[in-house]
Amino acid sequence: MNEKLVQVFSPDSVAVIGASNSFDKLGYHVMKSLAGNYHGMIFPINPKSDRIWGLASYPSLEAVPGDVHLAVIAVPARMVPDTLHACGRKGVRGVVLITAGFREIEDDGGRVLEEEIKEIAEHYGLPIIGPNTFGFVNLSSGVNASFTSEFSRIERGGVALISQSGGICHLCGFLAIEQRIGMSKLMSLGNRCNVDFPEVLTHLVEIDSSTRVIALYIEGLDEPRRLLDAAKSLRGRKPIIAYKAGKSEKGDSASRFHTGSLAGNHAIWKGALRQAGILEVTGTEELLDTAKAIDSCSLPGGTRMAVLSGQAGPGMIASDALEPAGLKLSHFSEATQRRINDLLPPIAIRTNPVDMGPAWYDPKNIIAILKAVIDDEHTDGIIFLAMYASANLNLAEGMVEYMRAADPFQKPVIACFTAPPGIWDEPIGALDRKKGVAIVPTPERAVQAMANLWKVSSLSNGRGVRTWDR
Amino acid sequence: MGSLILGVEAMAFLEKEGFPVLRSFLATSEDDAAGKAAEIGFPVTLKLSSPDVIHKTEADGIRVSLRDESEVRQGFRQIVGTFTTDQPEKRLDGVMVQAQGGGVEVIVGMATDEQFGPVLMFGLGGIFVEAMKDVSFRLIPMEACDAKDMMEELKGYQVLESPRSGSVDLPAVQRLLLGISEFITRHPEIREMDLNPVFVSSHGARICDARIMVL
Repeated sequence: MNEKLVQVFSPDSVAVIGASNSFDKLGYHVMKSLAGNYHGMIFPINPKSDRIWGLASYPSLEAVPGDVHLAVIAVPARMVPDTLHACGRKGVRGVVLITAGFREIEDDGGRVLEEEIKEIAEHYGLPIIGPNTFGFVNLSSGVNASFTSEFSRIERGGVALISQSGGICHLCGFLAIEQRIGMSKLMSLGNRCNVDFPEVLTHLVEIDSSTRVIALYIEGLDEPRRLLDAAKSLRGRKPIIAYKAGKSEKGDSASRFHTGSLAGNHAIWKGALRQAGILEVTGTEELLDTAKAIDSCSLPGGTRMAVLSGQAGPGMIASDALEPAGLKLSHFSEATQRRINDLLPPIAIRTNPVDMGPAWYDPKNIIAILKAVIDDEHTDGIIFLAMYASANLNLAEGMVEYMRAADPFQKPVIACFTAPPGIWDEPIGALDRKKGVAIVPTPERAVQAMANLWKVSSLSNGRGVRTWDR
Repeated sequence: MGSLILGVEAMAFLEKEGFPVLRSFLATSEDDAAGKAAEIGFPVTLKLSSPDVIHKTEADGIRVSLRDESEVRQGFRQIVGTFTTDQPEKRLDGVMVQAQGGGVEVIVGMATDEQFGPVLMFGLGGIFVEAMKDVSFRLIPMEACDAKDMMEELKGYQVLESPRSGSVDLPAVQRLLLGISEFITRHPEIREMDLNPVFVSSHGARICDARIMVL
C-alpha cells in the first residue's frame, strides 16, 4: 500500500474520468485544478468529447496510450464499479473517488455499492481515497487532485492536514492562505474505502519528507484503535495533533456503574489520544496556529517565556494568558537584564514582560533586545508583539533586513504583527515562518500556540525521545 | 446481560488476584456483625449490601468509625431497619463489616466501549467524581507512564500530590492502575468494574468497595 501511495500522491500521470467542459460537472473543476498547474501528463476521459480544457481527451481509460499513476473519478455512483474494474485492468496505482452516494446516504443501496467497490479494490490491490471526497492536494509536488483549484494558492510548507471532512479542508485551506500557513498536503479521506487514517499517517511519517507536522480532523471511527496503535508505533518521529469533533456524546446513562456512566465517547478519545502521543486541540484556530508553530519554530525546552511588546497592553494580556496555559514568565539572568537596560531607557518596564516602547522607532534596538532574550539561559521561548503605529513604520522592514542574515533562532519565537491591510503585508510575509518565527493574529493565540509547542515536546518525550526528526 | 459480583464477594475475588483490599465480611445478623467486627478489630465500618443499590450513602447505608460492639449492633439495626422500611421492594444481602479505611478517596474503574474495547478510568472519589466528573481514561493495556500520566491529567491532581493530611503513596496508585489493566487483559470476561472508593494513604492503596460485571 505504502509504495503505491507514493505514486498516488506524486503521480507522473493523472487520468480524470468524467472530465468535462461544463461548469456544472465536478469533472470540469478537477480539470481546472490540474490544467496549467500540474506538470505531469493529464488524460481527460470522456466518451463524448474530443478536447477538454484544451487537452486531447480519450473515450475510455483503455484508450490512454501510456501508464496512468492516478485516476480521479467523478462519474455517477452507478458507473463507479465498472470504472474501477477499468482502473484495475489498466494497472492504475491508485484512485481518488470524488463520487458521492455510498454508505453516507440514507438509502441502503449506498452501503451495498460501497461493499462492492471495496471488493473490487481488494481484487486489484487498488488504493482508493474516498469515495465522497473533494480529493487531495499535494503542495510539495504540485498536484491538485481535487475539485477546488484555489487550494493551489496555499504556500508550500510542512503541515499535512488529513480530514474526515471535505468542509473542514476548505475551512482550513482558505484560512491557511490568509494566514500564510505552509502546507505539504491537504486531504479529505471521505468514506475511507481502504485508505484510512493509519495508512496515510504511516505514509506521512515514514516516507513523506516534506511533512513536518500532521494535523488530523476526526469525526468518528469504527475502529479507533487502528489509528491510535499506528500513532503510538510512530510516536516521537513527527508531531501529530488532532481535532476531534462530536464532543456531546455522553456516557451510558443506563449503566449501573460510575465508570460506565462517565465513559463517554469523547472522554475516552481524550485519554486515548494522549496515550498515543497525539496532542488534542479544541478549535480550528488552535489547530492551525499549533500546526504553523510546530512547522516554523524550534520546540521549547521548558515553560519559561519572555514577553516582548512594543505597547504595554498586548504584553499584559499575553502575560496573563501564560499561567492558565501552563507557562510562566522567565526571570532574566543578570547579564541579560544588563543588555536590555543598555538598550532601553529607564522610562519603560525593562523586566519581563519587557515594554520595548522607547526603542520602538529603532529596529536595531528591538532586534538587539530580541537577541538578548533568545540568548538568556532562563528563557525557553519568546512571545513578540508588535502593533503598527505611524511612527514605527520602518520596524517590520528593518527586522526583515536583520533576519535575512541571522541564523535561525534556537528558541521558538511566536509573534503578532498587527497593522492595517497593505502596510506591513510584505515584511510580515517575509518574516513569517522564517528562521524559527511564527506569526499568529493575537497575543492570546500566540501563548496558546507556544503552550502547545511545549506540550508536543513533552508528549514526544514521554517515551524518552528527546528531539523530533526534523 | 452478565452477572454482577458485589461487595464482599467482589473484594474476595480481588484479594485472591493479589490486589490490596480492606478486610471485609458479610454479616447477615446483628450477632454476626458484632462477631465479625471483633475479629477485624475496632474501629470498623458498616455498609449496606444490596444488589439493587449503587449509592449506599443515599440509602443511608453507611456507618463509619464504630468503636465498639454496641455501636456495631446499633448501626446494623439502623441500616437494615431504614432499608427494609424505605425500599421494601429491593433485595438485601446483609451488611458488610469492614476494617476502617483512611486517606484520600479515589475511584478506579473499567468499562467496555463499543469502539474502543476495554478502558480504564481513574478519578478522585466522592464529590470530585460525582459532581465535577474529574476523571481520566486510558485504553487497556497501559504502560507505566500512562498510569502516571492519567493521574497527572486530573484537575484535582494537587489533592493527591499534596493532601491536607499526610502524604499519599502515589506509586501504590500507579501499581494498582497497572495491575488492574493487566488483570482486565487476563480476564476479558470482565465487562465493567468500579473500585469505589479506594483509600490511598502514606502506606499504600486499599480497595474499600467493588462491583464487577462479568459476562
